[in-house]
Amino acid sequence: MSSSVEGDEGDLTRKQRREQARTERKALEQAHAARAARRTRLTQLGIVVAVVVVAIVVVLIATGGGKGKPPAVGSKTANATVTEVSTLIGGIPQSGNTLGDPNAPLTLKYFGDLECPICKAFTLQILPTLIPKYVRTGKLKIEYHSLETATREPETFKTQQIAAYAAGKQNKAWYFIETFYHEQGEEDSGYVNESYLQGIAQQVPGLDLATWTSDRSDPALSSEIASDAQAANNEGFTGTPSFQLGKTGATLPKFEPGTYSEAAPYEAAIEKLLQS
Amino acid sequence: MIVLTALGLCLAAYLTYVHYSGTPPLCSTTHNTCLKVQTSQYALLAGVPVALIGLLGYIAILGSLLAPDGERVRFVTTALILGGFGFSLYLTYRELFTLHEVCEECVTSAVIMAVLACLSVWRFLQAEENLSVGAISLPARQSVQQ
Repeated sequence: MSSSVEGDEGDLTRKQRREQARTERKALEQAHAARAARRTRLTQLGIVVAVVVVAIVVVLIATGGGKGKPPAVGSKTANATVTEVSTLIGGIPQSGNTLGDPNAPLTLKYFGDLECPICKAFTLQILPTLIPKYVRTGKLKIEYHSLETATREPETFKTQQIAAYAAGKQNKAWYFIETFYHEQGEEDSGYVNESYLQGIAQQVPGLDLATWTSDRSDPALSSEIASDAQAANNEGFTGTPSFQLGKTGATLPKFEPGTYSEAAPYEAAIEKLLQS
Repeated sequence: MIVLTALGLCLAAYLTYVHYSGTPPLCSTTHNTCLKVQTSQYALLAGVPVALIGLLGYIAILGSLLAPDGERVRFVTTALILGGFGFSLYLTYRELFTLHEVCEECVTSAVIMAVLACLSVWRFLQAEENLSVGAISLPARQSVQQ
């Protein structure tokens, strides 16, 4: 009888041992599976991180750009700019910082910073539509005014804007402004210095460089920059480009086109004013 | 994570509006550094406003967070967030070392992306073993919303 009990206990123990072994095996398999899953996830994360790092490096290189030196006078690029600018504004009357017939029925005030890339976009993408259609035909005149935004150093801002206004004393400000925007350098790279401004001036057709140089110290031009800033402040302008558009001689209301790459809103506003 | 993503989405939507409307962004600094950052050449990437890229990114992340939970969905969420985090790092680098100006909205978005990156990586690595591809798991779903 006692041997039968011992046999039962032995069977039970063997069953328990088998069960225990099965449980341990299962736990081990689950642990292996969990480790394998974690390894897979880590590998997937590693691949994603590597792709992201490569993408950042590519974007950094692609957006790095050059230092923004103006092309050498007489070089192919400089000649192309001179030709493009002359084709656009050549033969249009200029007076100071105004482009167009002084008696044009409409006036567009353009507040800009020569180092501002959005102003560059406006100048290169919108003005080539507006100038032939409205300025050359005597319907619109454009006044350029200064408002510091993208230029970090106030002194640099003043120097570069005065350089443009000094060209305006020979009625060539718009050649200077257009050339500057065409050859604008990388933002905040400190590219605007004396040789840069001389390089731009040398590309302005017919500009008397000696007179231009002496005109740059005219205190009236410095005052003009200050009064531009005051006018922009009065209008509540904080960004460039900012605009006022309306009938010449009347108070010009603010004009917010909402885009600097599509000419349509500008054309629509001008057409509306011409018909009113 | 959903709340953080929705917050980031609102910020990106506001910056996209600011970009297209031409209105100056809200900024606590006296000389509006946010405006300087957002009118800089780095506000565009291949002609596309970075604010718009951010907005699309946040929409994609929110979509993946609201999708039925599963291993693959979690991977997609994590990949999107890590991509967004990388993009934020690039933009912050440009602010600090190229423009030397800081845009508050951009920094807030970068912080949101950093927190989302930590949470999504942790969530992806902690995924339950029974979380099969495309399967809905209640505990996992709750962790999404925490």
